[in-house]
Amino acid sequence: MANHAPKTRIIKVFRYDPAVGGPGHFDRFELKTDDESLTTILDVLIRLQKTQDLSLAFRYACRVSMCGSCGMVINGREALACKTILADLKGEEVTIRPLNHFPVVKDLVVDMEPFFRKYEEGLTYFHAARERSEPAIIRPDSRERRVIESSTECIACGCCVSSCTMANWHKDYLGPAALNRVFTLLADSRDGLHEERLARSLGSCYHCRTELNCTEVCPKEISATRAIKYIQRLAAKEVLKPGSTVRSDLRELMPPQSTAPAALTPEPEDLLPAVPPPTLASRREFLSRTTLGIAALTIVFLGGVLAATALAPTLRKRPEKWVDVGQAEDFPAGSVKTAQIRYPVKDGFYESTVSKPVFVSHQENPDQFTVFNSRCTHLGCMLHWDDGKNLFICDCHGGQFKPDGVVKAGPPPRSMDRYLTMVQDGHLFVQEA
Amino acid sequence: MEEEKKVEFRYPLRRDELDPNRWRSTQAGMWAWLWQRISALAIIVLLAIHVTLPHRPLIQFLLLLTVVFHVTLGLRVILLDFGLVNVKYQKALIGGLAALGAVIFVLVWTGVY
Repeated sequence: MANHAPKTRIIKVFRYDPAVGGPGHFDRFELKTDDESLTTILDVLIRLQKTQDLSLAFRYACRVSMCGSCGMVINGREALACKTILADLKGEEVTIRPLNHFPVVKDLVVDMEPFFRKYEEGLTYFHAARERSEPAIIRPDSRERRVIESSTECIACGCCVSSCTMANWHKDYLGPAALNRVFTLLADSRDGLHEERLARSLGSCYHCRTELNCTEVCPKEISATRAIKYIQRLAAKEVLKPGSTVRSDLRELMPPQSTAPAALTPEPEDLLPAVPPPTLASRREFLSRTTLGIAALTIVFLGGVLAATALAPTLRKRPEKWVDVGQAEDFPAGSVKTAQIRYPVKDGFYESTVSKPVFVSHQENPDQFTVFNSRCTHLGCMLHWDDGKNLFICDCHGGQFKPDGVVKAGPPPRSMDRYLTMVQDGHLFVQEA
Repeated sequence: MEEEKKVEFRYPLRRDELDPNRWRSTQAGMWAWLWQRISALAIIVLLAIHVTLPHRPLIQFLLLLTVVFHVTLGLRVILLDFGLVNVKYQKALIGGLAALGAVIFVLVWTGVY
């Protein structure tokens, strides 16, 4: 519910006097209004000018958000003064300042020249593709008209350009307003300057960082972001098209105006300094070189990390790992026994316990244990000891080994593998790789 | 003859210059853009730590969280760029994709650890 009671507000207005110069300052006014829900910021400014400070400068014309003259930054947000209701502003204070990114003429009045220069750069005028005797018919429900939507409603108030941070950082950026206008013409089937227009916006349409500030502040609820995205897609399609002549440097390829006087006064070329003029191309070259450099650094860095990760474990000297097989006295002389060995393995995140059988032979030499790997040397099947036959037998392909591990029959190509052994404190140990 | 007087302009105001309300009235779209930049820098730092000190659960947690956050905001821009989602849903996209990202994050984190 709007509060209709009289209320006093503190109004801070940015002041700049061209006769004084400097960075400008804020003036503080107090203003009592009878009904804030019926008071616009434009009313506030007019009242301040009439009753408190005659020198306050601001611009307005239509008072019904049609002309786009009274764009300004109200409480940190771009808006039309005539469309902003005082009651909608929270807090005791209201801060009013001129639009960003435009030279300030006086107080809240800015010079819109940069705005319309960008407009011109984008070729934002209609140029018919062909002569018609009858008006072209574009139905309201046609796809083309629905794509353009409300983008033609722009009143060039400059709020979007003021809210766009990229308009500040990229001086060659056409900005949301001009690109929105370019979009309405690019999407128009009657337009005859499609390629030229696209070429003009190619260089700058990708300056948009999708912050959507322009969409947020537009008093006409137009989304310049949507328009810019449309141009970006169009540009991408055009550049990918084979044989396309649309290039962002189309302007540079056009004969520059300075060639005519140069032809009138011919100068010997060898007298001219051999310094190439700084062009957009040098910037482009710089950017592409930087990109390549960063890409190369990334590849070297990531490649180095990957190579180190893959190779380091193989180069590192592994500590000898001795695994306990059991009490030495459990393996009496003249016997072959099967024992399980267990040990933990760590691989990255995972820890697991390996458990596998080994054969302990105490036959050849009473003082020495021989411990065999239980895998057949043919294809790695598990062997088993046959007490009756006195042989190690592989069930897979009939391989047989004598008690000393030498092949007796079957396909195995070599003797059984042995572990290095050690007896310490009555325990038998084997070395595991 | 009247001489043309040169008007002394004040240089253009910058976005947050002399404006106490600017950051307070910064909208969701710009925060999304800004936080994606910040998370990109965070990823570089966390990735460097992760490479030098592998298998640290805290670092991995933060890295995964930052990457998911960054990807979430990036997907939003891709959807808007290709016109797959109308620009008017841009704010809903932030929340929706963030929720999706959170679910994926929980699934990945609990799945791996």
